[in-house]
Amino acid sequence: MLDLQQTVDHVLLLAERSGLKEVDALIERDEALEVEIRDGKVEKVEQSTSLGLGVRVLRNGKTGLASTERLDVSAIERAFQSALENSDLQDPTEVVLPEATNGLADPESLGTYNSDLEKLTSKDLADLGLAIEASAKNADDRVSTIPYLGASRNSSEVLLVNSKGTRYHQHNNSVGAYCGALLQDGEARKTGMRFWNQRNWNPDAAQRTGEEAVRKGADLLKAQPIPSGKLPIVLDEYVAPRLLGMYFGAFSAESAQKGMSRLKGKLGEAIAIPELTLLDDPHRIGGNRSRLLDAEGVPPQPLPLIENGEFRNFLYHVESGRKGKHASTGHAGRNYTGGVSTRTHNLVWATSDSTLEQLCRIPEECLLVTQLEGAAGCNPISGDISIGVQGFLYRNGARVQPVDSITIAGNFFELLKNVRAAGNAYQPNLTHLFIPALLVEGFTISG
Amino acid sequence: MLSESTVSKILDHGRQQGADFTEVFVEDSVSSNLTLLDRKIDEINSTNSFGVGVRLLCGDDVYYGYSSDPDEANLLRLTANLGQSQREGQPGGLLPLQQQAVEDIHHIAINPETISKSERVELLRQLDELTRKHGEAILQVSAGMVEKHRVVLIANSEGLWVEDGRSYSRMRLSAVAEKGDGPQTGMESPGMLGGYEFFQNLDLEEMAESAATSALKMADAGYIDGGTMPVVLGNGFGGVIFHEACGHPLETEAIRKNASPFCNKVGEAVGQPILTAIDDGTIANKWGSCNVDDEGQPTQRTVLIENGILKNYLSDRIGARQVGVARSGSARRESYKFSPVSRMRNTFIAPGPNSMDEMIGSIEFGLYAKKMGGGSVNPGTGEFNFAVQEGYAIRNGKLAEPVRGATLIGKGHEVLPKISMIANDLELAAGMCGAASGWVPTTVGQPTLKIDSILVGGR
Repeated sequence: MLDLQQTVDHVLLLAERSGLKEVDALIERDEALEVEIRDGKVEKVEQSTSLGLGVRVLRNGKTGLASTERLDVSAIERAFQSALENSDLQDPTEVVLPEATNGLADPESLGTYNSDLEKLTSKDLADLGLAIEASAKNADDRVSTIPYLGASRNSSEVLLVNSKGTRYHQHNNSVGAYCGALLQDGEARKTGMRFWNQRNWNPDAAQRTGEEAVRKGADLLKAQPIPSGKLPIVLDEYVAPRLLGMYFGAFSAESAQKGMSRLKGKLGEAIAIPELTLLDDPHRIGGNRSRLLDAEGVPPQPLPLIENGEFRNFLYHVESGRKGKHASTGHAGRNYTGGVSTRTHNLVWATSDSTLEQLCRIPEECLLVTQLEGAAGCNPISGDISIGVQGFLYRNGARVQPVDSITIAGNFFELLKNVRAAGNAYQPNLTHLFIPALLVEGFTISG
Repeated sequence: MLSESTVSKILDHGRQQGADFTEVFVEDSVSSNLTLLDRKIDEINSTNSFGVGVRLLCGDDVYYGYSSDPDEANLLRLTANLGQSQREGQPGGLLPLQQQAVEDIHHIAINPETISKSERVELLRQLDELTRKHGEAILQVSAGMVEKHRVVLIANSEGLWVEDGRSYSRMRLSAVAEKGDGPQTGMESPGMLGGYEFFQNLDLEEMAESAATSALKMADAGYIDGGTMPVVLGNGFGGVIFHEACGHPLETEAIRKNASPFCNKVGEAVGQPILTAIDDGTIANKWGSCNVDDEGQPTQRTVLIENGILKNYLSDRIGARQVGVARSGSARRESYKFSPVSRMRNTFIAPGPNSMDEMIGSIEFGLYAKKMGGGSVNPGTGEFNFAVQEGYAIRNGKLAEPVRGATLIGKGHEVLPKISMIANDLELAAGMCGAASGWVPTTVGQPTLKIDSILVGGR
């Protein structure tokens, strides 16, 4: 088996032998160590290493793709040959690979890798998991079982090379833990779930995941539906990025070109409240999607998607840029098994001064949403939102009851114009969606 | 795949590490993906997935590792590392490997390798045209073919050596329609455990009409007023609700953790006598079928609920042992990157005596959910939510205007007893199910049925 460098060099050699001038290769190498805990012992230990090579050839204006998880010479040659054959049938894309970027900074400056995490052993993770379980069990005597509890460290390495001289290598890693506790009180059952995911090992902070999960479930145990109607909604700092994150595909130029974005033709128009600026920041230190080059080798720069409420920029990769007569903005995403698609980097929605509790005090009555039930009722093309939620009813600034068995319905594009206030903090875990809690109007509740 | 000598060494190495059971899972898969979007071939991709998973069991504790490097020394090192994680134990037994023949009941009529990619491209273009001809309001069409041939080898310290091949073929179609009130999507995605004959036998016109009509109807639709009401669930993919809300909580993976409303309920009434539900991995060429499961166990037909009484759970090796039930041949995994757990195969509600007209006629105001979108469930509490892809209001016993934006939410064990009428028009539909052991092909299904009351989210 070849190593990463040998593998990409072999792809470039095959390209040279075939007389191809436009080829790129992407290798991903992932390593993980995970433990699962149940009833005071380690129930499962999993350790893994996986590798994959994606080859993209550009020939006569056409693109061909293939990938393999076998990194020996014959498998690489088969993948290369498959990519060539696939390119014959592709409709022309006229993609031209970007030239290599000179003077690139060291990707380590992005703060996406902490080598200390690689030293964590399964015992370290198991000790953390056991401590989380103990604290969860002690937190409330209504905990009936803790079916989901684990701790893990993960690292990934990406190497992108192309025939224009690009050679980009980036490491990311993280350590995490999760706890899902089931609480029962009579016939009432609730699961409280919490995640901790960081790039610094802090077992004391991670251990609080257990208590927090139990508290989350316990607070909702006596939940009841509330009557149907219109009510202001506060999406907490965990829910807001999860809900809004389903809709940012609308900012893709590729989606607009294919008639699958409601933002088509709206550049320069007011699409949100004047206070809103939404920035795509590829260089945010420690951001989950921080990169110096995108998946095609284009250097992205910080880019406002919305500025003072106005729609400022679509996101382009090379192909959508060519179609739209616009330079790539460096928003190509890709994994080794797939083709290029449009991907945001780190999206940043500015915080304001209000705490979550203060947001809940602004309207006379509101629903604080702390949990989304799946995502199936959310349509990223139309922007429609129809989703089950759980949370708390607030009246005159006081929490009056936990709420479940209701749905909220609205639309993402209307939401952008109906945000009344933003919170003062992002959720603490590693993320690429920096969106604070939001107070929004215009939603309908069915209960 | 991997030589018998290497497999034997890994199994012996596992034994020496103190494992009382060691298993080797090798996978070599070739898949291809063709997508036509915006009238153009948007992507043609070929993938070779290969790797080895090693599982050591020490009592009920699981130690799993995988690698895409088949080098013997690497795999022995992986096994040794797994062994270091476990508590000290007495070495388990090791029986000589015996190759077991697998009877392949999923006949392939046309080997996909004999068909050119250009023929596939032509089929996609045809489907695109057939969909677009339903009117200018069809704004966009995406059509795709996904094919995967998966060869697996499963060997274990009990002497099992079994190899199996599984060919999956699936067509996806998405139509987007716009009539001035936002784009709406209609989708179809049939699939089969079989060869290229699946594509040749597909009724492309019917598929195109179904997706286009769904998108056009929803583009005309207004939003439904939400509330609790009776719902008639359409046949076929409507079965996704039973799959999510009842099927997952009936897997021993949930039962063994005491994380299911169905724990200790075998033999009890969980639905009305009209309700019988089955999970069957043995249906020839069905999308969710298999010859042997991913632990090498022959698959079977498992009656989950019979005449309203809970009969069985779905189990894997660990789940069966912990829950105290027989193995049902339901251990599944997406790939070598996952250790297997109990999962559904082809899950459906059996036909009943009623008709759809009877159901609609019995409702003064309610919802007919003709086609369901996706959904999810919390197995511990049974709480589920599902999107309705194509819905119609029911008014005064008759089908009325199309409605969009509906979501169904509830708790599976509370909804089951509210199924009061079941028709005799059973249909099965292909889907992909995501859970602890990754995404696996599963079939959901049901006849048209009536739920007396359920919360419908809307505007």
